[in-house]
Amino acid sequence: MVDMTCREFLEYVDLDRERIWCPGCTIGLMFKQIAKAMTELRIEKKDVVAVSGIGCTGRTAGYCSFDSVHTLHGRAIAVSEGIKLANSNLKVLVISGDGDLIGIGGNHLLHAARRNTNITVICNNNEIYGLTGGQVSPETQTGVETITTPYGNPYPQINVLGVLKSNKKFFYARSTPMHLEHLKNVVKKAIAWDGFAFVEVKSYCIENSGRRQGFKNSYDMLQTLKKYKIVGEKDDLNEDEIGIAKREG
Amino acid sequence: MKLIQGNEAISEGALAAGMKFYSGYPITPASEIMHYLAKAKQIQFINSEDEIAAINMAIGASLAGVKAMTATSGPGMSLMQEGIGYAHMAEVPLVVVNVQRVGPGTGMPTMPAQGDVMQVKYGSHGDYFPICFYPSTVSECYKYTIEAFNAAEESLSPVILLCDGYVGHLYETVKLSETKFELKTRAKKKLGEGLGHTTSLLNKNGVPNTKDPSLYEEYLERAKKKMHDAAEKYKFYEYTKNENTRDLIIAYGICARVASAFTDKYSLFKPVRMFPILSEEIEKAAKEHDRIIVIEMNAGQYSRMIQSVAKKTVHTISVLGGTIKPSKVKQALDALKQQPRS
Repeated sequence: MVDMTCREFLEYVDLDRERIWCPGCTIGLMFKQIAKAMTELRIEKKDVVAVSGIGCTGRTAGYCSFDSVHTLHGRAIAVSEGIKLANSNLKVLVISGDGDLIGIGGNHLLHAARRNTNITVICNNNEIYGLTGGQVSPETQTGVETITTPYGNPYPQINVLGVLKSNKKFFYARSTPMHLEHLKNVVKKAIAWDGFAFVEVKSYCIENSGRRQGFKNSYDMLQTLKKYKIVGEKDDLNEDEIGIAKREG
Repeated sequence: MKLIQGNEAISEGALAAGMKFYSGYPITPASEIMHYLAKAKQIQFINSEDEIAAINMAIGASLAGVKAMTATSGPGMSLMQEGIGYAHMAEVPLVVVNVQRVGPGTGMPTMPAQGDVMQVKYGSHGDYFPICFYPSTVSECYKYTIEAFNAAEESLSPVILLCDGYVGHLYETVKLSETKFELKTRAKKKLGEGLGHTTSLLNKNGVPNTKDPSLYEEYLERAKKKMHDAAEKYKFYEYTKNENTRDLIIAYGICARVASAFTDKYSLFKPVRMFPILSEEIEKAAKEHDRIIVIEMNAGQYSRMIQSVAKKTVHTISVLGGTIKPSKVKQALDALKQQPRS
C-alpha cells in the first residue's frame, strides 16, 4: 500500500524557494516522485547532485535541498559527465526538459549514451519550449500549432528510445505524471541502473501549448495521458506503452 | 634538460599545478596538448564530442572539486565563450588555453596568429573581467600555465592562457625543474560537501533574483573588485629599457621573441598578463618614450587597448597571414623612423 501521509521525501526539497511553475503544471508532481524514489533508495544528501539545464524543468535543481547545479541551456549532461569523471562516488541526477536535453543538448545525449556514462537523466517531455512562450520542440507532435508553427508542426517527433537502442547497452524508461507510483518505480530502477539511464516523462504544458491546442484546463490535458498502458520491462516499447526497455549489453 | 614543444610545456605545467581533469576537442595548432595529456595516467582525460562539451565538462569537474583545464584554438574558443561567461558568473575556477591560428572562420588552420586578443577580453556576453596570461617561450609556457591555475583558484574564474601556433609548436631545450612556484589550493567547497545551488543566474547565495537591478550593480562591482584584487598578485611582464633610445616596442608571444632582436636600438615591453591590461606599467613605460610601436599578428587589436592606457599615439606593425620574418619587421621599424615622434 502507498502511504499517502509519507512526508519523508520533503527532506530532499528546499521549500523556502519560490516556484516558477504555473498552476496545472506537472513538473512538481514529477519532482515529488523523484524525491520519493530517493527516499525509498535511502540516498544520502552528500552522495547526490542534481543537475539541470535551462527551461521550466531546468529550474528543478534550484529546488533541491542537496547540492545542485543549474547549467547553461543544453549542457546539463556535459556538466554531469565532468562531475562524474571527477568524482565517481557522486550519484548524478540530470533533471531537465525535452528542449534542453533533446533539442539544444542533443549531441551530449547522443554521446553520453554511447559512452554509457553512469548518470540518470530524467526528461520532462512536455513537447514544447514552455518557458520561452511555447515554441516548437523536437518532441512536438506533427501538426500541432505552436507559436513558431502557426500552420502546424511539419516535422515528426524524435525517437529517443530508437537513439538509445542503437547502443549495445541501454536503459530507457517511459512514464507519466498521471501514473505516479509507476513513475516513482521507474525512477528508482533508473537510479539503480549501472550505466546511462534515461527516463522520459511524457507530460504536457497547459499554459504555453495546451491552450493554443484548444484545451480548457490542465485536467483535460492530463486525460490525454490515459492512453498509455503499463507494460513492465521489455526489449522495446510501443508508442502507447509505458515501462522499461533495456539491454544489459 | 629536455627538448620539448610549447604545447607540451603547457601540459607539463598543468600536471605540475595539480590538474586532475582535462576535456578537449582536437584542433590545430592546440592538439598536441591533448595528445600529451591523453597519456597522463594521474588525470581523468576525455576527448569530448565538441568544444561546448569540453568547457562544460571542465566546469562540472571543477565544481566536483578538482583542477580542470581545456585547450583549443580560435574557432573552439568561440564555441566555449558561453561556458566561459557561465564560469565567471557561477565562480568556477578553471584554465582555458587558446593556441591561436589565423581566422576568422576556418581561416588558415595551420598558420599561427594573435587574432583572438579581443575575443579573450570580450568574447562572452555581458560584462566580465577576465585574467589572461601570454607566454612567449617554452619555459614560460610551463610557468604561466601553473600561474594560470593559481590565478583561477585565487579569482574563482576561468583564466585564459593565450598562446600562438608559433610558441605552441616551438621546440626549445628547457629545464623545467628550475621553475620555482607555489600552488594555490581550492578555497571553495565542492559538490557533495554542501556547496549548495550553483547557478549563473544573478543570485544571492544561490537563490536566483533576476528582477532587481540594484542586485546586479552590486554583483558587478563585487566581481570587478574580486578580479582586480586577484590580478594584482599576478603582474607579469618584462621591461627592457634601452637608455639610448626614445623608441619603445610593445610585443607579446612570438612577436616579443622577434622584437628582442632589436633591443640594441629599442626598448622592449613584453606584457605577460594581457588582461587586465597592465595600465600603470604601460603608461609609465610610454611616458619614458616618444614613439610607441606595437608589433602583433593581427590588424591592431592590442594596439588600440595600449593606446587607451598609454595615452599616446601608438604605431602598429601588423604581421599577417601566419608568417613572421624579422627582416620584414625591421623594414617596418625603419619605415616608422621617418614618422614624426609624438
